[in-house]
Amino acid sequence: MTSTTTAGTASSAGTEDVEAFRLRVRAFLAASLPRKDERSGPVSMAEAKQLQAVLFDGGFAGIAFPARYGGAGLTLEHQTVFGQEAAGYRMPTPLAVSVAMLAPTLLDHGSEELKSTHLPRILRGDEIWLQLLSEPSGGSDMAGVLTRAVRSGEQWVVNGAKIWTTGANHADYGMCLARTDPDVPKHAGLSMFAVPLAHDGVRIEPIVASDGGTPHFFQEFLDDVELPAGNLIGELNNGWVVARALLYHERNATAGVGHGRGYRAEADAGAATGTGIDDLIDLARAAGTTGDPVARQLLAEAHVAAVVARQVGDRVMTGIRTGAFRGDWGSLLKLGMGIDAPRRGEIGLAVGGTGAVVWDDGADDGAHDDVDRHSVKWLTARTISIAGGTNEMQRNIVSERLLGMPREASDDRTVPFRELLSRRTAGS
Amino acid sequence: MDLELAEDRLFFQQNTRRFLERESPVERVRELHRTEHGVDPAWWQRAAELGWTSLLAAEDDGGGSLSGNPVQDAVIVAEELGRMVGPGPFLPTNVVISALSAGGSAGLKEEHLPGLLEGSTTAAWALAEQGGWAPGDVRTEARVEGDEVVLTGEKAYVEAGAAADVVLVVARTGDGLTQVLVPRDHPGVTVVPGHSLDLVRRFARLRFDEVRLPGTAVVGEPGGADGGVERQLQLALTLQSAESVGLMDRVFEFTFAYMGDRYAFGRPISSYQALKHRVADMLLHLESAKATTDAAARALDERDPEVARLVRIAAAYVGDTAVTFIQECVQLLGGIGVTWEHDIHLYLRRATLNRAVLGAPEQHREQIVVRLGV
Repeated sequence: MTSTTTAGTASSAGTEDVEAFRLRVRAFLAASLPRKDERSGPVSMAEAKQLQAVLFDGGFAGIAFPARYGGAGLTLEHQTVFGQEAAGYRMPTPLAVSVAMLAPTLLDHGSEELKSTHLPRILRGDEIWLQLLSEPSGGSDMAGVLTRAVRSGEQWVVNGAKIWTTGANHADYGMCLARTDPDVPKHAGLSMFAVPLAHDGVRIEPIVASDGGTPHFFQEFLDDVELPAGNLIGELNNGWVVARALLYHERNATAGVGHGRGYRAEADAGAATGTGIDDLIDLARAAGTTGDPVARQLLAEAHVAAVVARQVGDRVMTGIRTGAFRGDWGSLLKLGMGIDAPRRGEIGLAVGGTGAVVWDDGADDGAHDDVDRHSVKWLTARTISIAGGTNEMQRNIVSERLLGMPREASDDRTVPFRELLSRRTAGS
Repeated sequence: MDLELAEDRLFFQQNTRRFLERESPVERVRELHRTEHGVDPAWWQRAAELGWTSLLAAEDDGGGSLSGNPVQDAVIVAEELGRMVGPGPFLPTNVVISALSAGGSAGLKEEHLPGLLEGSTTAAWALAEQGGWAPGDVRTEARVEGDEVVLTGEKAYVEAGAAADVVLVVARTGDGLTQVLVPRDHPGVTVVPGHSLDLVRRFARLRFDEVRLPGTAVVGEPGGADGGVERQLQLALTLQSAESVGLMDRVFEFTFAYMGDRYAFGRPISSYQALKHRVADMLLHLESAKATTDAAARALDERDPEVARLVRIAAAYVGDTAVTFIQECVQLLGGIGVTWEHDIHLYLRRATLNRAVLGAPEQHREQIVVRLGV
């Protein structure tokens, strides 16, 4: 299981006492990082790279990574402590994908050469990685990817299209899942590759979201992208195992546990010390609904959800550390977020009333721009229920892998991929 | 329950579970349904011997917790009680023991704590009145006359109130609250026994008509009990949440097992995605209920300044979640789930009762918003 290897990377004997570590983190953060209230607005990628370099140079990047790859050689428990202490500071959140999802996957499965070359750069924020998994033809059924990698002499040649990548405009490398053998069942013919995005054959296009704001998602077209043989991550035709590890780290990072703890600092701060619903309270105040019993019930519901989400996150982290929970427990937390986020959006609309959807031009109401308004964010409130594995995929994982319920009957694990493909064409 | 139970606490939990399975299986709870008080006093004494009544009393008073975290220890028992929908005045007796140990005079402790701790006597806590559970709405009056205190008023929804030997009554003296320990058979006390939705949990209405007691019956100072009442309410809500978590835990177990055994259209119903997805959500709710209840217990033990809010977060979350969770399991069980024969209705009864006793989620949420400064 990917999960057990992952937990294994973090546990070693004779590591620093966590409470001593906490004091060291506290002193370092106070001396080295800006507090959140010193600057407003989200952290840009440029700022994130600066912040990540400060963390790296202080010895607090990749806390549970081995020192020989640029990490601190400690454990995920130390990473959790770091996250708790980092709550009040500006953190390199835009680098969470690269540092907390791609780097751990590379650590789990990369060759020694790939790891020693790239991990220190990734952990310092000098090199940014992303995932090239989903395709226009399918996201949830990830093992059904159509992108092909064909061997040509000492090289691999990749052709295909990928989609829903976050921050491709800033990234240097993509971890790309491609089909290397179409004549075996779909999971058995996949391999993972490191693809330099600066390659001439890679074209990157932004996807404008329904909020009309600056694009966060991109799609990539891969046209005869030649890769050295050493860019294979993991074994040939073992790409599904690598992809599973990547998804595991993705769910953990999204849920704010594992290697990414601390990178979503506002979540830590919200539940641990603040209300977690300051924005909703502001909406209610602006709409004059704070005295309304229904609005008060809804505000409390949102606050309870925010606090309980953090409490169950802590419980899961404890369970993983003690061994009481094994496997994909990040999925349970990811599911919780996917359920809470749209409900939180609804509550904002209810307490905000008409003023949440109609506003005066140039009003001094705290919104940085229209995209920053609650009702505009509401348009994309389901992003978290879809991205990183839909709620429905998380429910499959929770019921099948955590609870051991039987899989839905299907022959797609036994039939050669080429045959599945011909069904697809016949059905359309 | 806590995922980091030290060995002695784990042993205590297993002992508690074995005791309940042996001496209070659900069939026994069904039998107790037909008894007057819904509990066997001899059984309660054996439970007390296991430590059920000593966790929340100080060591000087003959008590002592396992771990130095008494509420977290008591939560272990409450969860196990929930798993077996067990009988007995665990919550009210422990709330009164904790109040006496924390604020009772030496004489009061000496007179009452030994019996309560060994299980030969039981106690009830009378907080609610017809108007509800908010301590601010208490109208029962405690009048100080010389070295005596005189109680007048009516308390409602007093758990185990008809069977209890002593009742800790929350009353008002001027602007403040007063708690008075009243022997149930004291002159002027009228007991109107009552039943509840739960098969074995009895409630009573208690009337106090110029009930005259020595001033030493007051726990703490007359008019100075507001803080103590709030702490007792926090303790009671946390134990109640833990019991409901135990209900959910056990119902999930037997419903899950049933889904693997029950076949429809040639395969176990646990293989249908429409049902698996509901079970996934239920695991999220179960783990969340455990997490928030543990957090409330920890906040009480650690005297967290935010404890009032954290306890109500647990009570609001678990209060609502437990009932919908168990009804969801009724749906998954199908027809058998709405029969008298199947045990699930005992669990649904207890969870539904818990949702409404000590304040409902609606009231807890209002308190939460107040504490957020809104």
